[in-house]
Amino acid sequence: MISLPAPKPEVLARRDAILADLARLLPADAVIGETLRLRPYETDGLSAYRQIPLAVVLPRTTQEVASVLRYCNANGIRVVPRGAGTSLSGGALPLADAVVIGLMRMNRIREINLEDRYAIVEAGVTNIGITKAVEGDGFFYAPDPSSQLACMIGGNVMMNSGGAHCLKYGVTANNLLGLTFVTIEGEIIEIGGRHLDSAGYDWLGLITGSEGQLGMVTEVTVRILRGPEGARAMLAAFDSVEVAGAAVDAIIGSGIIPVALEFMDKPCIHACEAFAHAGYPLDAEAMLIIEVEGSIAEQDMLLDRIRGICARFKPTSMKVAESAEQSAAIWKGRKGAFGAVGRISPDYLCMDGTIPTGELPHVLKRIGEMSVQYGLAVANVFHAGDGNLHPLIMFDANDAESFHKAEAFGADILTLCVEVGGCLTGEHGVGVEKRDLMTKQFTAPELDLQRAVKSAFDPEWLLNTAKVFPLAGNPKIAA
Amino acid sequence: MNISAPDTEEALAGEVARAHAAREPLAIEGRGTKRAMLRPVQAARTLSTRNLTGITLYRPTELMIRARAGTSIPEIEAALAENNQQFVAEPPDLRVLFGADEAATLGGVVSANLSGPRRIMWGAMRDHVLGIRAVTGEGAIFRSGGRVLKNVTGLDLCKLLSGAHGTLGVLTEVTLKVLPAAEATGTLAIRVPDVATGVAALSAALGSPYGVSGAALLMEGHDALGMDGPVAIARIEDFAESVAYRLGRLRADLAAHGEISQMDGAPARSIWRAVRDAEPLGAAPEDAIWRLSVAPSEAARATESLRLAFGAKLMLDWGGGLIWVAGPAREQAHGAVMQAAAAAGGTFTLFRAPASLAASVPVLPEEPLPLAAIARRVKATLDPGGVLNPGRMRV
Amino acid sequence: MQTSFTAEQLRDPDTAESNRILRTCVHCGMCTATCPTFLLLGDELDSPRGRIYLIKDMLENDRPASELEVRHVDRCLSCLSCMTTCPSGVNYMHLVDHARRHIEDTYVRPWPERMLRAVLVRVLPNPKLFRLSLRAASLARPLGKLIPGQSMLAQRLRGMLALAPNRLPTVSPAQEPQVHHADGVRRGRVGLLTGCAQKVLDPSINEATIRLLTRMGIEVVITPGQGCCGALTHHMGAHERGMAAARANIQAWSAEIAGQGLDAIVVNASGCGTTIKDYGFMFREEPDAADAAAVAGLAMDITEVLEKFAYAPTREKPGLTVAYHSACSLQHGQQITALPKQLLTRAGFTVKEPAEGHICCGSAGTYNILQPVIAGQLRARKLENINRTRADVIAAGNIGCMTQLAGDALPVVHTVQLLDWMAGGPKPKPLDRHA
Repeated sequence: MISLPAPKPEVLARRDAILADLARLLPADAVIGETLRLRPYETDGLSAYRQIPLAVVLPRTTQEVASVLRYCNANGIRVVPRGAGTSLSGGALPLADAVVIGLMRMNRIREINLEDRYAIVEAGVTNIGITKAVEGDGFFYAPDPSSQLACMIGGNVMMNSGGAHCLKYGVTANNLLGLTFVTIEGEIIEIGGRHLDSAGYDWLGLITGSEGQLGMVTEVTVRILRGPEGARAMLAAFDSVEVAGAAVDAIIGSGIIPVALEFMDKPCIHACEAFAHAGYPLDAEAMLIIEVEGSIAEQDMLLDRIRGICARFKPTSMKVAESAEQSAAIWKGRKGAFGAVGRISPDYLCMDGTIPTGELPHVLKRIGEMSVQYGLAVANVFHAGDGNLHPLIMFDANDAESFHKAEAFGADILTLCVEVGGCLTGEHGVGVEKRDLMTKQFTAPELDLQRAVKSAFDPEWLLNTAKVFPLAGNPKIAA
Repeated sequence: MNISAPDTEEALAGEVARAHAAREPLAIEGRGTKRAMLRPVQAARTLSTRNLTGITLYRPTELMIRARAGTSIPEIEAALAENNQQFVAEPPDLRVLFGADEAATLGGVVSANLSGPRRIMWGAMRDHVLGIRAVTGEGAIFRSGGRVLKNVTGLDLCKLLSGAHGTLGVLTEVTLKVLPAAEATGTLAIRVPDVATGVAALSAALGSPYGVSGAALLMEGHDALGMDGPVAIARIEDFAESVAYRLGRLRADLAAHGEISQMDGAPARSIWRAVRDAEPLGAAPEDAIWRLSVAPSEAARATESLRLAFGAKLMLDWGGGLIWVAGPAREQAHGAVMQAAAAAGGTFTLFRAPASLAASVPVLPEEPLPLAAIARRVKATLDPGGVLNPGRMRV
Repeated sequence: MQTSFTAEQLRDPDTAESNRILRTCVHCGMCTATCPTFLLLGDELDSPRGRIYLIKDMLENDRPASELEVRHVDRCLSCLSCMTTCPSGVNYMHLVDHARRHIEDTYVRPWPERMLRAVLVRVLPNPKLFRLSLRAASLARPLGKLIPGQSMLAQRLRGMLALAPNRLPTVSPAQEPQVHHADGVRRGRVGLLTGCAQKVLDPSINEATIRLLTRMGIEVVITPGQGCCGALTHHMGAHERGMAAARANIQAWSAEIAGQGLDAIVVNASGCGTTIKDYGFMFREEPDAADAAAVAGLAMDITEVLEKFAYAPTREKPGLTVAYHSACSLQHGQQITALPKQLLTRAGFTVKEPAEGHICCGSAGTYNILQPVIAGQLRARKLENINRTRADVIAAGNIGCMTQLAGDALPVVHTVQLLDWMAGGPKPKPLDRHA
C-alpha cells in the first residue's frame, strides 16, 4: 500500500477557518467542505488508492485559480490539481490536508483559428471536445488518449498524454503552442503563444508532463491539424503474441509508419468484443489493429503492402474495415479496452511501461510467466508501434491479498521494462502509483536534480505533494 | 583561445567540476560553428564536446539513434541514410550562414533546438529528443528520458536542455527519434504578388488534407524555379504514388492563389535544402540575421514593418510562422525587429550578429518577471556557480 | 471497484444486485463526459460516477438518505447516457432505481415537495385526472407570470404552467379498448400500449400508429385493463404504485397472449418502452416473474415493429428536412439509434442529426417539472443544436421530448406520424401551420 505524507496538523486544525476563507475567495457553490460531499473526490481512475481531501474548490476562471493558489501558498496549504479525474496513476489522489482544485467548470472554448491552425481552450475542455469543435471544418486535435471522451486538456498537459495515433502525430507536448500557467504564488504567466518554438528556455516542454509539480494550467493553446482525406483500420490476427510482435517490427522496418499500430492479446480481445461488437477474431492469440490514412486509393495501396508483410507471418485472419462504421467499431473496442476488462474482472491495475519494441516477445513471455507465478490473470493491450505496454492485471479489490499481489506483480513488470532499456511510464504519468519505483529508473542524484527543479517552482512543496518523487528524500515532507 | 576537448564524459565532467570549484566561467561548444549566435560568452576558457564522438546505438526498427554529443550531423545523416531513414526535424546546416568550415555537432543542434522546414508538420528538434546524458554546472553527470519513443517518467529535462544553449548543462549524449526517409518528394511553386497572398496560399496548403511537410515563401523567387518575385512553395513527402496524387489535388485546390509550377526529385529536394539553410534569405556577410516566430496571419504586417524600417531582406518558412530577417547590424534595426515581434504577439531571436550589437541588446524577448525569477532559480539549481556559458542568452 | 457490504446486507436481493453492479464499475470516469448534469454543473457529485459513489456510501452504511444524496440523485435525469458510454457495462439504471426507492423509504421531503410529488404520481398516470388538471392549468396559464420569487416551488409552478398546452385535443375513441382489424390479409397481431399522459396530450400519435399498422396488415389490439406502464411513478421512487401499474399491464397482456396471442406489444412512447422491456427485472422476485418476462420479451418500439413488417412509403418524397431528436429512452435505454433515422430516410425525408445528440433535452419524465432550471438549460441547449441543422421539422419517438421541445421555431411531431403520412396517412397537423 502506498504511503502518504503526514498531514500538517496546523492545517487540519484550521480546517473550518480555511473553508471560510475559501468561501470568501470563490462563489458559494464553488467550495465543498462536508465529508459526505468530499467522498466522491477521494479517488480518480485508480480507485485502489483513496483519501478524502480537506476541501474541493471548483473555480470558473484563471483569476479564481490564482487567488486560491495565492491563499494556499500564503498559508502553507497543499494543493492537488484535478481535471476529469481519469488518471490511471493516481495523479489526482487527494491528501488529507490538501485543497483539491478541480478544473471541470473551466470548459469554455476561447478561440478557434483555422487559418493559423490553433485553438485556445480552457483546461476543463475534454480532449474530444476540441476535435468536436473543429471537425466540422475537417480539423482535429491529434493526441487521443483512450479516455479522450472524458479526460480534460489540462490533465493531458500535466501528464503529457499520448494515445493510439501518436505514432504519427506525437504526444501532447508536440501539439501545444501556449499555456496560461499559474504559479503557486498565484502569478499568472503566459507561456508560448500562438506561434511555434518560443525563444529562450522551453518552459512549455518542461511544464508539459510535470504532473502538477510546477504549477497549474488553466488555458491551453493547441495546434489543430487538418484531418486526412480518410482513414481505414485493418485487423490482423496471429496464433502467438511473439509472431504478432515480429510482424510489428517488420511493418516499421519496411518504412511504413501506420498512423496507429495497436496490439491486443486474447483476454483483451474477448472483453473488448463483448463491448464493441467489432468483429474481433475470438480465436486469435494476438491481434493487431493497423490504421492508415489518405485517399481510398492510398489506403488500398498501404493496406496492400501491410497485408503483404503480415502474410509472411502466417496470420490466422486478416480483415480490412469496409466502412467508416466498421473502423469506428474497431476503435470503440480499443478505446474502451480498459473499462471493458471491468466485464471480466471486478478490478484491474493498468500498467504503462514502455520497452524497446525489439524486446516485445521477451517481455510478453515474462509477463505471462509472472501471471502464473502470481496467480493473477493479465490482459495485454498496447501501442505496439512505440512499445508502450498496457498490461491489465486483474484482481479483486474486496480481497486485500489479491490487491497486494497485483501491486507486486505490477512493480515486477515495470522493473522489467526498465531493465530491458525502457521506462516506467509512457503516457499515464508516475502519479502516486509508480512513485516508489522511480529509484529503479533514476539514481539518487538524478532524482535530487529533478526535485531541485521542482523546488525552483514550488519551494515549499505544496503542489501535488506525494506524487512523482519517492517520499524519502523529498524536502518539506514528513512521511 | 584556451580550448579543452576531453574525449570522455568523465573527463568533461571533471573539467566542469574544477571550473565550478574555481568559479571560472566556461564557454561551452561543440565545434564552435554557432559562436556568433545570440550573445558572446565572456569566458577565458572554452570546453568543447568535439571529441565525444560516435554513434553508440542505432536501432532502425525501433526508430531511434543514440550518439555522443560531438558527433557531426553529416556522420549521423550518413548512417541514417544507409537504412533509408532521416532526422525528423531537418536541422539546418549553417556553415554558410555562420562562415564555419566544419559541420555542426549533434549536441550543438539540440542545444540550439534548430529545426528546418519539416518542423511545421513533424515537430521541432526538441520534439524528437528521446533522451540525454549531460553534465551539470557542478560537474555531475545525469540522464533524462531514455531510448524509447514514449516516456513521461519524471520531469522532462530533455526539453529544458534542448534550446538552452549550454547554459543549464553540457550535453554529452543524445538519443533521437528518427523516421523513414520519404520515398519521393514533390513541390508546388505558386507565384504570388505579396506576403499576405503567399501566406494565405501556404495556410490553404497546410489546411489541406494532403500532409504538406514544408511551406515557405521566397521573396525573390529562386533560380531553380525559374520564377522571380515572391514565390510560395509547398512540399509533399511520401510514397511516390501518393506524392503524385497529392500534388495534383493540391495544385487544383491552390489554383486561385496564383500561377503554379511543379517540381519533383532532385531539384525539389535541393530547393528545400536551400530553404532549410536560409540561403534564399540572401544575407550579406556583414548583415545581422534575426528569426521571428509568429502566428502566420501576422506575417504580412510584421514583414511590412521591417521592410519599411530598414529594408529588411526576408524569407518565410513554417507556413509564414517563421520569418528569417537580414539587415544592418544596428540597434535601430534590432529595435524594429523587437517591435514587430511584440506587435505580432510572437517571439524573436537575434540569430547572428557581430558582438558589438549582440552584447548591447536583448537577443531574446524579456521574460515576464515571475518567470524570470523561476528561470534564475532553475539556473541556480543546474549551474549554481554560473560557470556554463555565462551571458549566452541573457545578460 | 471495492465494496464493503456485510454478508447480512447481501442477503437482501436488491442490495446483492447493487453490489454486483458496483463491482462492475472500475471508476474510469468515461460516464462523466456524456452526463448532461456534469456538463452543466461541473461537479463530480452531479456525474454518474459521483452519484454511484454517493449511493455506494449510503447503501454500504445503511444510512437513511440525507438531503445531500437526495439533491444529487434527484438531479439525475435517468437519461442513461452513461450506460451507453460505460465500457464496463455498469447497470446504472437499476442502481439509481434502488437508490430512489431507498430515498423514498428513508427520507422525508419538505411538505411542498411531498405534496407536489403526491399530486404528480396520482394525476399523471390517470388520464381522466390529468385531463382535468391540464384544463385547469391552461386556464391558469396567464397567471404563471404573476407567480413571484425564485423558490423551487415558484419555479416549478411556473414551469408546469408553461408546459401545459394552450388547447387540449379532443378525446379520441380509437384509443379505447377494442380490436382494430387489419386491412386486407392479416400479417400479424400486436398489442398497443395507449399509455397515460400521451393519450391525453396527443391522441394523434396512437391514431397514426393504428392507421399505419392496420394499413400494413397488422391487427392492433387495445387490451382492456392496461394503463400507465409504471415508469413515471417508478422513477420517482414510488415503488409500490409503479409495480401495481405494471402488474395490471402484465395481467392484461398475459390474458391476451394466452388468448389469441400477440406478435409484439407495440410501444410508441420510448420512455414507457424502456420500462416495459425491464418488467422481467422488476418482477424477478415476484410470483408473476414468468409472465412479466414474457411481456418484456414481446415489447417493441414502434420503429422496431415497422422494420419487422417491412415498412414502405407510398407517397412522393415530401422535400422536407427532419431533425431527428433521439430520445434518451430510445437511444440509451433501448439502444435504438439508427433505425428511426433509416425509416425516415426510407420514407423520403432528409434526416439531420443535431450535434450533441446523446445529451438529454431535459424532459425526462417529470424532471422538467421537478428540476425546472436544469431542464430549461438543457432545452435551450438542445433547441440551439437542433436549429443549427436548419431542418423543417423535429421528429422524436417520445411524448415527453415532444412536449419539452414544443413552442420554439420548429414544429414537433412523432416519428410514426411522419411515417404514416408517407405511407398514405394524413399530413401531421403541426406541419400545416408551418408548411
